[in-house]
Amino acid sequence: MTEKVPLIRLAKREDMARSRIWLIRLLAFVLALILGGLVFVIAGADPITAYSTMVAGSLGKVTGIRQVVKVAVPLLGTALALAPCFAMRYWNIGAEGQITMGAMMASFFALKMVNAMPSPVLLIVMGISAALMGALWAGIPAFFKAHWGTNETLFTLMMNYIAIGIVGWLQGGPWEGKPGSQIIPMFDEKAVLPSVFGVHIGWIIVLILTFLMYIYMTKTKHGYEIAVLGESENTARYAGMDVRRVMLRTACLSGGIAGLVGFMICSGADETLYQTVAGGVGFTAITVTWLAQLNPFAMIAISLLLAILSKGASTIQTTMGVPASISDIITGIILLCMLGCEFFINYKMIFRGHEEHPLAPTTAQNTEVPGVSPEAVKEVKA
Amino acid sequence: MKKFLAILLTVAMVFTFAACGSSNEGSGEAEGGEEAEVVKVGMVCIGDDNAAYDRNFYMAADAAKERLAEEGINVEWTYTYNHPEGDPVAVDCEELAEAGCVAVFCNSYGQEPKMLTVAKDYPDVIFAGLTNEGSWKDKLDNTVNAFPSIYEGRYLAGVAAGLKLQDMINNGEITEEEAVIGYVGAYTFAEVISGYTAFYLGAKSECPSATMLVEFIGSWGDPTMEANTAQDLIDRGAVLISQHSDSTTPATTAQANGVPHVGYNISMSDVAPEASIISSRIDWTNYFCYVIRSIVNGEKVDQDYCQHGLADGDVVLTELNENVAAPGTAEVLESVRAKIESGELQVFDTSTFTVGGQEVKSAFALDTDGDYAADSEEAVFDGAFHESYFQSAPYFALRIDGITLVNEAFS
Repeated sequence: MTEKVPLIRLAKREDMARSRIWLIRLLAFVLALILGGLVFVIAGADPITAYSTMVAGSLGKVTGIRQVVKVAVPLLGTALALAPCFAMRYWNIGAEGQITMGAMMASFFALKMVNAMPSPVLLIVMGISAALMGALWAGIPAFFKAHWGTNETLFTLMMNYIAIGIVGWLQGGPWEGKPGSQIIPMFDEKAVLPSVFGVHIGWIIVLILTFLMYIYMTKTKHGYEIAVLGESENTARYAGMDVRRVMLRTACLSGGIAGLVGFMICSGADETLYQTVAGGVGFTAITVTWLAQLNPFAMIAISLLLAILSKGASTIQTTMGVPASISDIITGIILLCMLGCEFFINYKMIFRGHEEHPLAPTTAQNTEVPGVSPEAVKEVKA
Repeated sequence: MKKFLAILLTVAMVFTFAACGSSNEGSGEAEGGEEAEVVKVGMVCIGDDNAAYDRNFYMAADAAKERLAEEGINVEWTYTYNHPEGDPVAVDCEELAEAGCVAVFCNSYGQEPKMLTVAKDYPDVIFAGLTNEGSWKDKLDNTVNAFPSIYEGRYLAGVAAGLKLQDMINNGEITEEEAVIGYVGAYTFAEVISGYTAFYLGAKSECPSATMLVEFIGSWGDPTMEANTAQDLIDRGAVLISQHSDSTTPATTAQANGVPHVGYNISMSDVAPEASIISSRIDWTNYFCYVIRSIVNGEKVDQDYCQHGLADGDVVLTELNENVAAPGTAEVLESVRAKIESGELQVFDTSTFTVGGQEVKSAFALDTDGDYAADSEEAVFDGAFHESYFQSAPYFALRIDGITLVNEAFS
């Protein structure tokens, strides 16, 4: 063997014990906290006070917890929306636009049809129309992908800008309140989602959705089709599945949920429509979905973690004068470490000269990418 | 062995965090007990230190703190940043109210609707919408709004601009027809229209041939956009730049082109010493003191802080930059200021401007039916349009002759 062996080789591993996996995750989190602490030090803040203030600000009192939940709701909802798409290996980067268009449709009824129906009916109409609009917005790129093989990543991304542009035009044009203000008037109380325990009922809706999504992904024929299609389009075709149909259906489901999230944001939280209604949730949710490895229940935990970080960030900005951008950097570090550690869980590094058993079956031809749902893989194998 | 060490380190870390966390909380409570006399107030800011607009508020907050300290009232400010609108504003308001603030000031127009939704949950806290007009009209008693009569300051700043233009004409630098002012505006919003019209009328009072181009950026503040727009105005022939936008880039652009400039919110002579003549600004110190003092003394806070301008010191001009200003500007400003303060000079004197070639005989001030079109309170009487008379927020929205809008649709 004359060929030079690279210094580090990567090999897939599947044999890691659960306790060890969690240890790695814990270590990654601790590493992130230490790195974040360094950033705090550079910014001139005491890291320990900063972290404890973040936790106290977000979980230390009832209003803090309510705000955390309010931030987590759209994140969780959107992560759920993205899960079936990602399981299918269909990269829907367009949740931002789907949320925005859903919110726009809901706002149309909230602003223009407020006197046409009683409050519960109005809210249901707003929700359904938002979901349909989101589905339509997601369905356009899916249709193109299914029929002409266009790149869905670019297409869904571009659709975001169109959606945000449309709402920007409405905000400064036909729906503007005071001339020149660029602000759409607040919704009538009839069009505002009621609250339970101080937070709009969107939190109950997303919890129900979490459960339904779990069932859908793991126990239904649709979920199975998505998993198979995600593994291999040819396998799906060979199994007699209508690939176009599954793709379109899944993308529309995804967009529909995102649209519903848009309805919850504008009706529950903002009580009016802004151009920034999605506010980056459509992108942050991508991270949530991956971190949770497409597991709906894990998404609850991840979106709560992000919400705590976001709430904590605003607390340290007000109480310690740490700029919000510093908190953004720390959130970024935590996410990077958490996503990065999955790499070490899924792969092992083999250093030159340290091969334990070079031809071991763990280096097999499995092409699984970190983050793909274990359930999905299991079912494909079954 | 490595694994064991890693676990040990982790456990140690966790304990350190937990231990430090609890000790900090303890000391915090102790401090709170000792300094119970401190009056906490909060401000929800549209931007942060980087915006001239927000810096103007911080300056006033610091000044108010100092002035109230002399009266024996110890004030502690808490700010939240970068939330122009929507639910984050509600969260900020709640957070500040929960933190024990007796007053929460929101410093931008778009924040008010959300502030009003929170206010009903905290009836003992005064919520103040600065530069707003919805709080005095709503049903809640603890919501107030304020808008000092900035049009007076704009007029005075316009006088300084007019003197400069006339000086340039007299020196043969430009012809009478070339006396074009370029104005970087935010939106076609009453506050902005009132501001640039007052500025133009001030300039025209000293330079009768002056005309004005207004170009909107579709944002309250966007440094790049503001700079590009100022450049565009100069390219269109403007020989003096002014602005109703939040950053200092119109000043630096003017300087780069060798064109004089008149600023807003803060003195811009430090960033553009060869261009910026003077700035008009609202000085919020009086208002902050008034609200906080009223609360401490258990007095009612006026729901609409109306008719407070140059005379009260709520509207001020920054230091005159003599290097750029026309000779004798300081003296003229003093005499015009005296006339405005005494009421001898009306900024929107209907004999000084026309709309579509006609003198304005009638215009309404307030909107009562919620369609955003003024329908009540005749603002034109005694030979002038009375701005900020029936409510503090500006309502002058007439398009007068001599001012050309370069654009109108933005967003």
